[in-house]
Amino acid sequence: MTSTHISGPPAAELCRLLDAELSVHSRIGHVALLLASAAMTVVVASLWLTEPALPPRTMAAFAVMTLVGLSWVAFSGWVLSRRRPLLGHDSLVAGRLAVTCTSTFAGGALAVGYSSGEQAAYAAAAMGVVLIAAAVTLLLRARRNVARLTRRREALERELEPARSVNPSRRDG
Amino acid sequence: MTDTSVPGRRAHQEDELLVIRCQLGERPAFDDLVERWHRPVWTYVRRVAGNDDAASDIAQDVWLRVLRGIGRLRDGAKLRPWLFGIARRALMDRFRLQYAAPIEADVDLTAIAASASSDDSQEEIAAMERELARLPVTEREVLTLFYLRELSLTDVADVLAVPVGTVKSRLFRARRQLRRELDTEGESA
Repeated sequence: MTSTHISGPPAAELCRLLDAELSVHSRIGHVALLLASAAMTVVVASLWLTEPALPPRTMAAFAVMTLVGLSWVAFSGWVLSRRRPLLGHDSLVAGRLAVTCTSTFAGGALAVGYSSGEQAAYAAAAMGVVLIAAAVTLLLRARRNVARLTRRREALERELEPARSVNPSRRDG
Repeated sequence: MTDTSVPGRRAHQEDELLVIRCQLGERPAFDDLVERWHRPVWTYVRRVAGNDDAASDIAQDVWLRVLRGIGRLRDGAKLRPWLFGIARRALMDRFRLQYAAPIEADVDLTAIAASASSDDSQEEIAAMERELARLPVTEREVLTLFYLRELSLTDVADVLAVPVGTVKSRLFRARRQLRRELDTEGESA
């Protein structure tokens, strides 16, 4: 009943589309951009909030730099949710990367604060803890999601296996 | 043509498995997805769009949207209505750009067909395919989805984002229009 006399576009175009859209480098690159811009924003915001009696022009400069950092955070977050979504195992890798980087950042800021007594470093460490909490939340969510998908996949494979072994042909749709 | 049959249920399970593999990020699963569904999507788009060039552009757009959105598909068994829904939205976006106006026709909700699961003969379906290109877009797409793509009434309703009753009324009207075309052709032959 299905008509197949109409051809589709060349397969090479679709292959290029798949390669571009499913690029792991692009996804991990945007995760790195998100983490770097978040760290930069936290450092600048910490300096801005803890430096006493800053001249108005310096405060304005800090505000602008913080806004720039937040813009990069928003942009990379948008890319990772809408344009290059993190799927399954990629989201696990990204989550682990985020936990590692935010922990290192918060630990480094705490060490600087402890050794130099800088208020800005303690503020950065405090905001780093918030970032760690966000990263851990994302990692746990990714693990739950992958575990759920894996369970469902195994159940489906068990159900489909006998039918496949009898009739290996696939429905054309 | 309903989803309760064993082959229909198995096809839905295979769709769901494919979606889950994609959501787990397996690259070969995306190749399988394209291999399995590209031709049906292309055929649907080609029939409604009316020419190969537009169909190529729209099919690429459909796959772009699919790749970006498949992670958010909650029920993999609903792949068909989701996929053809995306194809339809891509078509509508193209038509809106082309004509700068929505192309939805008014639908008479009271004209409900007595029976959707008809016993049309193979000859009638073949003739339908030939005459399909002459029909307006609304009728063409509902017939393509229901008869040529074998989606259930519920799936077609999901794709078109209208109630099942509206799908029946569109099918009724489209079939009546198609029969009129076929009768006219028969008389002139």
